[in-house]
Amino acid sequence: MNVQYDEQQLDALRELASIGSGTAATALAQMLGRPVELAVPRALALPLADALDAVGEPDAMVASVVMPVGGDAEIVVLLLFSYRCAASLCEQLGVEPRSELGDSALGEIGNILGASAVGALAQMTGLALEPEPPHVLYDMLGAIVASVLSATAGELDVALVLDAELSVEEAACGLSFLLLPTAGGVAELLGRLGLGAEG
Amino acid sequence: MGELAVSAAPDEELVSMGLGSCVGVALIDRERAVAGLAHVMLPVANAAYSAPAKFADRAVPSLLAGVERLGARRPAIVAVLAGGAQMFGGDRAAARVAGLDLGARNEAAVRAALADAGIPVRATATGGGRGRTVRVLVGEAAITVKEAGGVELPLWRPGVAADDLVEIS
Repeated sequence: MNVQYDEQQLDALRELASIGSGTAATALAQMLGRPVELAVPRALALPLADALDAVGEPDAMVASVVMPVGGDAEIVVLLLFSYRCAASLCEQLGVEPRSELGDSALGEIGNILGASAVGALAQMTGLALEPEPPHVLYDMLGAIVASVLSATAGELDVALVLDAELSVEEAACGLSFLLLPTAGGVAELLGRLGLGAEG
Repeated sequence: MGELAVSAAPDEELVSMGLGSCVGVALIDRERAVAGLAHVMLPVANAAYSAPAKFADRAVPSLLAGVERLGARRPAIVAVLAGGAQMFGGDRAAARVAGLDLGARNEAAVRAALADAGIPVRATATGGGRGRTVRVLVGEAAITVKEAGGVELPLWRPGVAADDLVEIS
């Protein structure tokens, strides 16, 4: 099944990505006490095979935090960090990387970034969005992203990827912040912005 | 992701990188060095149109037709599977992301479609909780698998029983 988003809809979704990731960047900066830079957020509607390539090298080992969001719109919040960046964030928070504490610190970063971004989206759209507990996973980028996209894309052959790059100054640490809504989730978001399929 | 490839070129490799809950289905003709690889994402299709290999029930017949077009012969074709992991653990939130046991359901659907076509499954590196990369060396009719954080290991090659190859959990 195919679906298309027009330019106006993609612009609106890019705006959501921008506000969500901007809020997340501010939350991360507060948490770390360091400036966090935000690179141009994207809203991409791509065939599934291309969506994975747009996110990164499928074979690369990455640290990730996955946070499902339920309520009026289903979205998965996904954070991807290099191992080096995950370790650097843990060190800044004073915990051992790749330990139980390190993992829960990464989960907490995911929680704070995800919940603040989702809160901003909820405020903007008036939707009730309910973040669930985050899950920390170290694995191949492709395995993580494709498994999430399998679930969010469902019957659709187009994946909608809202993403932005956050970089922590002084720590040479970059992370990808992704919002992956289901097709139903996208329809809800667009509907609330007055850009639904029915006009 | 959701795609398939077939080849009869001896120096070619078919690769699916980063299989998580997805299943890489390799079909290989033991005698003719014809091979195909599909990256299956979901068990069963109920949509009118989709990426060629997204759904197990459509991917297997398409892949089989593809390798037969390149000269593979049904009695010599065997299947090797990799992937089908449960990526996000067993917790409730994780199940909401990837669906309960999506990896296992993908593998079951692939096996059912292969059984319908009468194609035997000769080796698997499936289940568990880690991503995998599967590589089909067309000329050697051999297949390797690498688990996340691990090294590339042989999974199948013609004339060698799967038991004699390195055990892959």
